[in-house]
Amino acid sequence: MTTKRRVLSALFSTLALLLAISLSQPLLGQKKSSDSIKIPFETYKLSNGLTVILSEDHTTPTVAVDIWYHVGSKNELPGRTGFAHLFEHVMFTGSGHVPYGLHDKLTEGVGGGNNGSTNNDRTNYYETIPSNYLESALWLESDRMGFLLDKLDIAKLNAQRDIVKNERRQSYDNQPYGRVSEIFSAAMYPKTHPYSWPVIGSMTDLTAASEEDVKAFFRLYYAPNNATLAVVGDFDSKQAKAWIQKYFGDLPQGKTVERPKVALGKLDASKRLVYEDRVQVPRLYIQWPTVGFKQDDDYALSVMSSILSGPRTARLTKALVYDTQMASQIGAFQNSAEDVGVFQVVVIPRPGHSLTEIEGAVDQVIQKFISEGPTADELQKAKSGLELGFIRGLESNLGTANQLINGAVFYGNPGYFSTDYQKTLAVTAADVKRVASQYLTRSRIVLSVVPKGKKDQASKATESEAVTMVVGKGGR
Amino acid sequence: MKTQKKALALAAALVISLANIAALAQQTLDRTAVPPPGPTPVLHVPTWTKTQLANGATLIVSERHGLPLVSFQITFLGGSNQFESEGKRGVASMTASMLSEGTATKTGDQLSDALQLLGTGISSGVGGEEGSLGFVSTAKNFEATLAILADEMLNSTFPADALERLRGRTLVNLTQAKDQPVVVGAQVFNKILYGNAHPYGQRTTETSVKAITREDVVAFAKAYYQPGRAIVTVVGDITPMKAKAAVEKGLAAWAKAGDKPSFDYPKLPELQPAKIYLVDKPGAAQSVFNIGLPGPPRNTPDFFALQVLNTILGGQFQSRLNANLREQKGYSYGVNSIFSYGKGPGPFRAGGSIVSAKTDAALVEFMKELKGIVGERPITDDEMKTAKDSLIQGLPQRFASVSAVSNAITSLVVQGLPDDYYHQYAKNVSAVTKEDVLRVAKQYIDLNHLAIVIVGDRSEVEAGLKATGIAPITLIDIEGNPAGN
Repeated sequence: MTTKRRVLSALFSTLALLLAISLSQPLLGQKKSSDSIKIPFETYKLSNGLTVILSEDHTTPTVAVDIWYHVGSKNELPGRTGFAHLFEHVMFTGSGHVPYGLHDKLTEGVGGGNNGSTNNDRTNYYETIPSNYLESALWLESDRMGFLLDKLDIAKLNAQRDIVKNERRQSYDNQPYGRVSEIFSAAMYPKTHPYSWPVIGSMTDLTAASEEDVKAFFRLYYAPNNATLAVVGDFDSKQAKAWIQKYFGDLPQGKTVERPKVALGKLDASKRLVYEDRVQVPRLYIQWPTVGFKQDDDYALSVMSSILSGPRTARLTKALVYDTQMASQIGAFQNSAEDVGVFQVVVIPRPGHSLTEIEGAVDQVIQKFISEGPTADELQKAKSGLELGFIRGLESNLGTANQLINGAVFYGNPGYFSTDYQKTLAVTAADVKRVASQYLTRSRIVLSVVPKGKKDQASKATESEAVTMVVGKGGR
Repeated sequence: MKTQKKALALAAALVISLANIAALAQQTLDRTAVPPPGPTPVLHVPTWTKTQLANGATLIVSERHGLPLVSFQITFLGGSNQFESEGKRGVASMTASMLSEGTATKTGDQLSDALQLLGTGISSGVGGEEGSLGFVSTAKNFEATLAILADEMLNSTFPADALERLRGRTLVNLTQAKDQPVVVGAQVFNKILYGNAHPYGQRTTETSVKAITREDVVAFAKAYYQPGRAIVTVVGDITPMKAKAAVEKGLAAWAKAGDKPSFDYPKLPELQPAKIYLVDKPGAAQSVFNIGLPGPPRNTPDFFALQVLNTILGGQFQSRLNANLREQKGYSYGVNSIFSYGKGPGPFRAGGSIVSAKTDAALVEFMKELKGIVGERPITDDEMKTAKDSLIQGLPQRFASVSAVSNAITSLVVQGLPDDYYHQYAKNVSAVTKEDVLRVAKQYIDLNHLAIVIVGDRSEVEAGLKATGIAPITLIDIEGNPAGN
């Protein structure tokens, strides 16, 4: 049971990834029966620009209704950060014809669920419901798309602002290593870069958001032409189309949304940082700028991450956790967003091994990998879990919905999952070797997180610059 | 907008003929009308076969053919509470991790490589009252993966160097856990409720991990992984006949042995008068609350009434606790309550993370809601209906994947519930009355004996907590022992 609703999905939350990796072997399958890589769907646009995707699956008498708005923290301005996510909370406070509380009653209260999430690129909202509650779910979503501002006032905004500040305290400030993603975003990009601030925003900016700021944000980004709706599960498409027309059809089209032009991350010189946290065990993080998920190198970088860490025979895991045992855990990830990406390595040391020693060991493994590239066997293992992972994703209506919408929003094609799958399968050993030498030799950021008063525990401590973060206790 | 629309309709009515009004009404959608639900979908509970293998294990097979997936799980009755001694807490989990470290014929690396090529992984763990080994694979890789699982379960060599590596990792994890206020809060809460002598109050510590020897691990594996206490569950794209043949072949070497354990627990320590236990966490941005006391076991006849009770109190977003402390007061990102049922008296707990500055105010509200549910704020018809609807209509979600179906069926056997449990579920929930809910609330939420565990910045919260006058304050350390000033 969880009430951690309206959560923020920070793209650069490596701790969660690291723990996930440590709990299970990666899902990997060698024979590719392309038969199983199919999702039947149909898609169309309403006259106001709303993209609709329908996919029937009658296995379980439930339906997922999922809407993505193509707006995230990167659409914010410096000084007004945290807006997209604050807004996500406001979307659950009732709208023109839906009193506060009814949304939960018609979802959770009938045996279903609802939530939303925000990242750098997009904001999503969903309802999972028994299939006989589809019409009311569509009504709920259409009402907040069309009539949210009718009922929005400063009191409501303030209430959600307090809750978001608590979310920030719980997920970042009161969390060991919780500030790492913010430190990296700020160090990787110039101050005006749309990926330089955290999705949840700063306490100061959250306090500063005015009612008018929020309303203007809604008018621009929460229009049907900036949204994609998917309905997946046990329903009748003909009936669903009629309801979608009924509830969404007359909502007015909004202005065309300008997509920010975003430069890739690039460091003129490497940086070495040290951050003192309320922790007892230090950690080492290394991050290189790479590319976003719309660029083809993302596929080879992702495959490379599975070769470097995860199962016990992965290169970094084997060298640091198994052979020398200087690390307790290690992870390597390609974290990519729509416009930018980073490759990150994170290491939790065993006692008696300094971060300096660990950085040297990581570099040694990576140098060797750059010079020799992956073996055929490594490449095959890295791709073997794709099929199972994909099929398991289809077990959930919401998983399928997200898969389809992701394609529609970022590639203009709900069926993009199939291209995505094929492109991963097509990655060659030469591709992986090339991206290793192209990206892992670049200028990078090395961050040591150390216990309070123990800056000397940082990797190459004398060369490291201290990072100070405003303590996020915030004021009320 | 709503009123504007009505005014427009009225103006139009004045100038057009009556005949046109009907047509106009059809075009104008009344958005204030809540669309009614369609007919309730027929509940489809999966069917399964239940047979006994020659070695004594129970075999359950449930077919599900939509996707080419198979879930395989062996569940063992009894867990660390039954099979570990107090001084060797952690040996169960350590053993579960050691299974993949090498067998008579394969190294740990070879086992890992083979699983990677099959595209799956084997999960292995032992909890307080049950343990399991299992995987989800594509249908075509089911038998090959099962062969590896059987090899790990039956032929592991438990290499000494692997034990040292895992011990090192576990010690780092235990150190890191001390920095996690949420983890500290949960551990201290259990210790206060159950004490050192009850397994529910014990946990893996640095001392117990350091005491584990390879012999302990070998002995645990031998005593624990026995078919006499095992339930083998296969769910997915496979027929019962094929599943049985595959299991009999794959687990052929698993000889008959082992019994079902008994779940006798020592007597609970005597309940203490309500008290605030404060763990100092200097600089903490939030105070982590755990409020509660030992509750009933899963086999309580009050189960359904308690489920309705908890749904109203703190099981959902709009439950009383979250509606008040998060949505109305803004003190938290989320608070909740739960009864953690087991074979023994699992705890009732209400809690969440609260902004430091509102720690005292939040305690007042927590207590207000607990007093409310035991009688001061009567339960409404609407609360009863919503709680029951959500429980009953949420049932299909428990059958939404091969692993969900596997858990749904296996848990009936583990908890000794009847095979028609899910068919009777709606009837049993529907039968709960407001009087039942009030009765169980009074019985199980004993306000005079609550343990109120708060992990937070003492310098910021202690004075305020004292001023509430709700209960005396005792300072304790992160191990749950009395702390000096």
